[in-house]
Amino acid sequence: MIDSSWLTEFPDMSRRELLAIRQSLDSAYRTFSRDYGESIENFFDPLLYFLVWFENLLIETPWWLVLAAIVGLVYAATRSWKLCSGVLAAFLAIGYFGMWEDTMRTLSIITVCTILSICIGIPIGILMARSDRAKSIITPMLDIMQTMPAFVYLIPVVMLLGIGRIPGVIAVVIYAIPPVIRLTNLGIRLVNQETLEAATAYGATPTQRLFGVQIPLAMPTIMAGINQTIMMALAMVVVASMIGVKGLGQPVLKSITNQYFTLGLLNGLAIVALAIIFDRVSQSYAKRAQKHLEGTENG
Amino acid sequence: MYKKSIIASLMALAATSSFAATSCGKVEIADMNWNSASLMANIDKFILTNGYGCDAELIPGDTMPTSTSMAEKGQPDIAPELWTNAVEALINRGVEDGTLSVAGKSLSDGGEEGFWVPKYMVDENPELATISGIKKYAKDFPSSEDPSVSAFYGCPAGWACQITGGNLFKAMNLEEAGFELIDPGSSAGLSGSLSRAYEREESWFGYYWAPTAILGKYDMVKVDFESGVDAEHYKGCISEESCMDPQVTMFPPSPVYTVTTANFKKSNPEAYQYTTQRSLTNDQMNMLLAWMEDNQADGQYAAENFMFTYPEIWSKWVNKDVKAKIDNALDSL
Repeated sequence: MIDSSWLTEFPDMSRRELLAIRQSLDSAYRTFSRDYGESIENFFDPLLYFLVWFENLLIETPWWLVLAAIVGLVYAATRSWKLCSGVLAAFLAIGYFGMWEDTMRTLSIITVCTILSICIGIPIGILMARSDRAKSIITPMLDIMQTMPAFVYLIPVVMLLGIGRIPGVIAVVIYAIPPVIRLTNLGIRLVNQETLEAATAYGATPTQRLFGVQIPLAMPTIMAGINQTIMMALAMVVVASMIGVKGLGQPVLKSITNQYFTLGLLNGLAIVALAIIFDRVSQSYAKRAQKHLEGTENG
Repeated sequence: MYKKSIIASLMALAATSSFAATSCGKVEIADMNWNSASLMANIDKFILTNGYGCDAELIPGDTMPTSTSMAEKGQPDIAPELWTNAVEALINRGVEDGTLSVAGKSLSDGGEEGFWVPKYMVDENPELATISGIKKYAKDFPSSEDPSVSAFYGCPAGWACQITGGNLFKAMNLEEAGFELIDPGSSAGLSGSLSRAYEREESWFGYYWAPTAILGKYDMVKVDFESGVDAEHYKGCISEESCMDPQVTMFPPSPVYTVTTANFKKSNPEAYQYTTQRSLTNDQMNMLLAWMEDNQADGQYAAENFMFTYPEIWSKWVNKDVKAKIDNALDSL
């Protein structure tokens, strides 16, 4: 018998070569993080200040003021008293069960992540919609972002930026941004060709066409993307807590390793409550914005 | 002709499987998610498979869930490196009820825990080797997120040391000294923060434990709590979440045992005998872990390397017949 035939065994690389590759990549990364870690950290400093400031604002403001502000925002966005009282009840329950501070921390990081995702995601989505080449490059990147196990890129990020909020935000944004990009692209591509022709016939420039016709008509799809982004950001809360992000994720992590069922359930439910609030509010805001648009079109 | 060979091979198969069943059978080994335990588990797997003819299988585990499952369900059969401080009551109950058996010390020195600072900081300011010095110079450990407070990297959420570390943090009044207890969330987070700081010669103060590759690789100094070890208070109060009045004490060395199910002990006396013998010192383990890290080896690769390189260590754990079988297996590897 031949000892290692390529017919029965996959002709793989020798362990030594593989080891050499792994070691050289690792030490290259270590050198990189030693040389550039500090300047990259400084780059993210403004974001960190904002995160810390926003979190402190939510935690140090008296709870009733925060609650009033949240309910006020919900009313402004939805004009629905039913939703407002639901939100009020959910937050009162969260506070009563002693999860107010953790919830505020999670709320602040999710809000920042959502805003970041929208600010970065929508322009990328527009770029994808306007150029097929961009689309063919970005789509596989989005696939990687959505499927790559989070810890694979979390550990290099921790080596580079330490533990805490910034690596947490990066992880959450990487995971949560694909839906808003994909759906912005899809929404713009689905805009009726004849409508666009009409706009061109009226002498609209490409910019006018984009902001006056394509984006408003794509708005329902884009809002669905934003909605999905928020949901995925909340789903990442527990994973982000594994690199030291404070909030509802840490008690969940603690209860998983210690089998504290009630603690896990309560904090899990608080995450669900946040998700439902974000979902209902953003959806009914989108619906209302859409209604307003239809009204002006008719009038 | 063809039929005959099939029958022959079936018979051979039946023979080997029945042989395996009588000699050892299926053994499940808990493969904990840290390197030293994973290495132990892989060494056990190699020796039990090749030396005792067991059908050994690794089952992913963690201190709490594995010991609970062993006591309640009798699965897995072996926990090669169990830090029993965390689950003392559970183990004692299991031994009393006759479901568990403590085979022996897998780390003969026991585990070492403590609060550590990098050596280059102590070289610069020798006072930092004691807790009073740390408190005095708390400003030297600024938190990266909020430089107005000092950072103390605690134990990952859910680990037993989260309770002990938290209680000692309280007992030492570190909060009044300006420290904030940072939960790194996972061991990867904790070691990541340490190696990041060390690579850049920045400040770091936090909980860590030995034997670990990190402490083998980076020169760290264990902070003296200036209190000595009060094992009784540590056991009665510091390790309890409900500890009302924690007092400062050094960490007593943690016993690290090989724990098996009583079933395994009863049905496999020979293999059980091996688990009582298998033991490493912290120095040996540090060396192995450093090798593992340098070569980026997983538990299996490291265990094979250990078997090849250190026959003088493992040959003491087994009798001559078994050693000959293992040598055979190593030759054909």
